[in-house]
Amino acid sequence: MIDVSLFFYFGIFLAIIGSIATAWGPGVNDPVVRTFNTEVASIGVCLVLLCYNHVLALLTLLATTVIISLILFRAIIRLEEMGADV
Amino acid sequence: MLYVPQEFISMYLPAIYAGLIIGFIGTMAIAMKREEIHILILTDIVGLAMIFVVSAVGTDLAEALILPGLVVELAETLAISEILITREMRKIEQDPRANLKRSSSLFPQAFSLDMEIMTTAPNFIALILIAYGIFLTGFTGGAVAGGGIVLYALSKKARGLPVLVLDGIAGVSGIAWCLWIIGFLLFFVTPQYWLLSLFLAACGLLLKVASKVGLIGLLMREDIDKE
Repeated sequence: MIDVSLFFYFGIFLAIIGSIATAWGPGVNDPVVRTFNTEVASIGVCLVLLCYNHVLALLTLLATTVIISLILFRAIIRLEEMGADV
Repeated sequence: MLYVPQEFISMYLPAIYAGLIIGFIGTMAIAMKREEIHILILTDIVGLAMIFVVSAVGTDLAEALILPGLVVELAETLAISEILITREMRKIEQDPRANLKRSSSLFPQAFSLDMEIMTTAPNFIALILIAYGIFLTGFTGGAVAGGGIVLYALSKKARGLPVLVLDGIAGVSGIAWCLWIIGFLLFFVTPQYWLLSLFLAACGLLLKVASKVGLIGLLMREDIDKE
């Protein structure tokens, strides 16, 4: 039987590692890499919400993460095509 | 008294500290970056810290607070990305040496949907999805109804977003806020009408989410239909 708190602390660990990777990780001067690194942190938050039995919040987080990354990719692509410094 | 399980109480402090650490990392990174798009991406991390702190409560209250927080964060990101794109466009238009290329699309090549089913079926499917979403109410219903609006918007070939449509969506959104706030107020002032207030809040959330998802669909259509 695996303890629930293992998932909880692993989620916290993933969220902190993911946020550090988003802030100062390798290759984050490319905004696409930075957007992908936020996904790591959001998976950690998903694990924490799973430990707390917050099903609706978990589903909403998954949906909004997908939509936010779509919006960010759209913004990045349009800014790069316009020749702005991203 | 609210019942909080014992293990959630022992998880309270680690979750709060994790939220504080993540928020600190996010805000430090925001302070050190200069470009706006990077700051917009890092705002996402600060939003995750918000979720940590709220979810540490561990009851249904946390769930009720996380949902609007996420939806508001989504709307914020959408609005700020639009503002960034518009500002950059204006900057380039004012510069006579810059040449603005006309092609900008989410997809690398022209994405045309020339299928017979795209012209006949969507009215019916969108109607069913919206009706089912209204039947469900709440957040799930909003997502289903929004999916119906997205399907309708993507399949119709009309270009441009009329001012009337934007005004209408803004008006519906305001009505939804009012319903939601009245529902919450009734819930605390007169708890015996809890069913009425629950349905007011649920219908408000339905309108809110459906209009937001529909707006995203309209924006995506602007990108996709560009030849």
